[in-house]
Amino acid sequence: MIKLDRRAFLKGAGATGASCALTGVIPGSIAAVGAPALSGSAEAVPSICEMCSTRCPISARVVDGKTVFIQGNTEAKSFGGKVCARGGAGHSLLYDPQRIVKPMKRVGERGEGKWQTISWEQAYSEIATKLNELKSKYGPETVVFSSKSGSEHTYLFDLAKAFGSPNTLTHLTTCPVGMEVASDVMFGTGMKRDIGNSRYVINFGHNLYEGLDMSESRALMRAQMDKHAKLVVFDPRFSMVAAKSDEWLPIRPGTDIAVALAISHVLIEEKLFDKAFVDQYVEGFEPFASQMAEYTPEWAESLSDVPAKDIRRIARELAQAAPHAMINSGHRSTFTPEELDFRRAIFAVNVLLGNIERKGGYFMGKKAATYNKFAGEAVAPELAKPGVNIPKPNAKRIDQMDEQYALLWKMGGIYQSIIDTVNTNKPYAIHGWVMTRTNPMQTMTDRAKVEQALKQMDLVVCCDLYVSETAAYADYFLPECTYLERDEEVKDKSGKNPAYYVRQQVVDVIGDTKPAWQIFRELGVKLGLEQYFPWEDVQTLQLAQVNKDDALLKQIKHKGYVSYGVPLMLREPEMVAAFTAKFANARPVDEDGTYGSALKFKTASGKIELYSEEVEKIAPGRGAIKYRDVSFKQSNELYFIQGKVAVHTNAGTQQVPFLANLMSDNAVWIHPETAAKHGIKTGDNIRLTSSVGSEIGQALVTKGIRPDTVFAYMGFGSKNQESIRISDKGVHCGNLLPHVTAPVCGACVHTTGVKLEKV
Amino acid sequence: MNKRYVMVHDENKCIGCQACNVACRSENQVPDGVTRLQVRVEGPYGEVPDLHFKFDRVSCQQCENAPCVKVCPTGAAYVNDDGIVTINHEKCIGCQYCIAACPYKVRFINPVTLTADKCNFCTDTRLARGEQPACVTVCPTNALVFGDANDANSDVSKLLNSAPTYREKVHLGTQPRVYRIPARKGGIEA
Repeated sequence: MIKLDRRAFLKGAGATGASCALTGVIPGSIAAVGAPALSGSAEAVPSICEMCSTRCPISARVVDGKTVFIQGNTEAKSFGGKVCARGGAGHSLLYDPQRIVKPMKRVGERGEGKWQTISWEQAYSEIATKLNELKSKYGPETVVFSSKSGSEHTYLFDLAKAFGSPNTLTHLTTCPVGMEVASDVMFGTGMKRDIGNSRYVINFGHNLYEGLDMSESRALMRAQMDKHAKLVVFDPRFSMVAAKSDEWLPIRPGTDIAVALAISHVLIEEKLFDKAFVDQYVEGFEPFASQMAEYTPEWAESLSDVPAKDIRRIARELAQAAPHAMINSGHRSTFTPEELDFRRAIFAVNVLLGNIERKGGYFMGKKAATYNKFAGEAVAPELAKPGVNIPKPNAKRIDQMDEQYALLWKMGGIYQSIIDTVNTNKPYAIHGWVMTRTNPMQTMTDRAKVEQALKQMDLVVCCDLYVSETAAYADYFLPECTYLERDEEVKDKSGKNPAYYVRQQVVDVIGDTKPAWQIFRELGVKLGLEQYFPWEDVQTLQLAQVNKDDALLKQIKHKGYVSYGVPLMLREPEMVAAFTAKFANARPVDEDGTYGSALKFKTASGKIELYSEEVEKIAPGRGAIKYRDVSFKQSNELYFIQGKVAVHTNAGTQQVPFLANLMSDNAVWIHPETAAKHGIKTGDNIRLTSSVGSEIGQALVTKGIRPDTVFAYMGFGSKNQESIRISDKGVHCGNLLPHVTAPVCGACVHTTGVKLEKV
Repeated sequence: MNKRYVMVHDENKCIGCQACNVACRSENQVPDGVTRLQVRVEGPYGEVPDLHFKFDRVSCQQCENAPCVKVCPTGAAYVNDDGIVTINHEKCIGCQYCIAACPYKVRFINPVTLTADKCNFCTDTRLARGEQPACVTVCPTNALVFGDANDANSDVSKLLNSAPTYREKVHLGTQPRVYRIPARKGGIEA
């Protein structure tokens, strides 16, 4: 084999980036400042991926000193040692000429793309000075701190609190908030899915074969192929999960809730639900049942275009397979402003099936403390939570204006409330925005408003790997090192039994980049807040987590992923038997051979709540699960919907070389009948116009979409000129979606109406 | 007995996610603009709601009777003892006869080495280290099975004995060693 030198590798890894030298190089990029040769571990290092939020256990090693090969960590059985295209491509961003490896300061207008490199010292001291100015002039609460969810949000949010701002916002309301709030309201906690053991899975647009979650995507395929589970998919689009289903029902966008309610109707009317389960564990069944009486399959058909006879048949088949059957509760896309009741309607069907803590249904995570209690012995070590006591800031968070969102106040908050403050200055004006690894220009709705918010700030600081569409509006750019270049704290990865895993450095840090924990610690120290940052390195923090048990830490680091005991679902006799056989001091089983009597819910009633007093109090009229009419579009418009693709993560990976080479554009899916009406052929340029924006893209004429709907994958059409690999390619979903916040759960809504024309 | 390496691609399990494509590129340092392996998702075919996609693994088919080997003027292209169609880069003069001859259109000139290149089941990288090919290692849904068809106890032999399979363009007499398990939905355009 012919030997490649590193120069060749560089060329290979980022040939597309090379052209940036001609169009204007960003001063802090690898293209401008170069990078040292690759140096790292030739032995496989177990770690954690960061190419999406699933954070799969991985194993990575430097091959021949030239490239990095990444696969899954085989210690984590449900992940199977596997990695997706995004995970496998993570190393291609290491030497990407577009990657930023020096701190930068804006020298032109916001968004103009003019930068100069500065030292970390200068960056910290100028940012600290400006933050302290804002604090004394307007108050610390006028600076917002936001982040995607992950380890870095802890570090940034500690800084926020120490600085005195209550305004810490995660990406939650742009992602899985509906499912999370619904689950919290009904069960008092998050519920996990046991898809792999399911015999019948109904899926409302949760596209697990494109929005990959390695453990769940594999579980679904295992259920389908090895256990012959039936998969029924309701989706306006012929997605990959629809393609792999036994039955695809092209439902009218936003009407999934009607079908979910009608399934409950059939289960109750035909007495196909698990009455014993409902009697023992459920609160509010009677009023729920009488509410469901009006949601007949015929009614649902009139809204959704799903034939009533199919809804009845599917409900019966589902009941037949119960309790090892489920409706998947979904993840990101918010199809309707009635998101909370849509997700509650899904969970309600699962409750009627009695699949809670049963194989193929839903369960609560069994962390060490819970698991050990059942086992009657310390099967799994419990980690300490070496937090820092930071006084709670006094001011109200900006999303605390409207009582109906009170459930979000203990969670990540309503991210998009930052654009509400722009026009209203309520509850107060915002003057600064510090963010890490988040791209709200893409992931929020109404891009123009996000741009206006950024332009209006006195200070914008972005920590990222690339100049993203959002970072293009920053005053200061702080370059984080990639996940392959950093160590982090031990993370809990418990499922049916306890598990831990840890991110570890695989290659030497490239350029003048730093891990997030260090960046925000050093900025905190510069702000005079050193007392709140006692961990000088990750090793000290890790040791505190394991209560100084060095052997345990070594074991976790050596394997990268450690799990304890055997899987436990409280109402599954087989699993409980295996559990008690393994642990001599285990809690005695109930008469029926389960731990059913131990199943409690952290709700006000201690039961699963089909009616919520809590929700009724904050949003009168919304305590019960109901259908409400929603208007998505004008009669002369088409539905616009969007979703995920397997080779990109939302708006986070479009610049990564390997992935950009696979896909850097998003064609708009248009049905042949609709296309014919407009004289559109595949490849034609088309314009989509919504109530807030207009986008030009390319048509893909396909039968895989309803005639009344157009679809595009999200995350494309970036408008900043720094992202040369992706700018102005495809349609920008965030620019078409109006700023609509779903009641109670606070979700950004991802369905709207658009006009289509050929250009 | 010699090994006879074969691969099976299960089109029921394949979701077209390109994890194989990326892993191959990473392990074998395949430059941008060329590819040893991709899965083409074609379609949808059929009528609503009975649509289906076709999942076509596009890579060297490791023919027993390889046209590329027959036309190679220097002996750079040859079938190894283990059945893998291999390229001796020292002997390759970049004449592109093999590229023209390949009925599957999976050979290319590597822009870095300037010699012919294609999938070789990771023979010089992962197989040499006793590992499975990169694509098989990472495939999220276990759609790929690789192994020695001359070993009756190998997973791949058992699979070939139990599952219906087809191969591309067998009428040309190439006897490809990449087998495909047809998707239960939809037809096959073999």
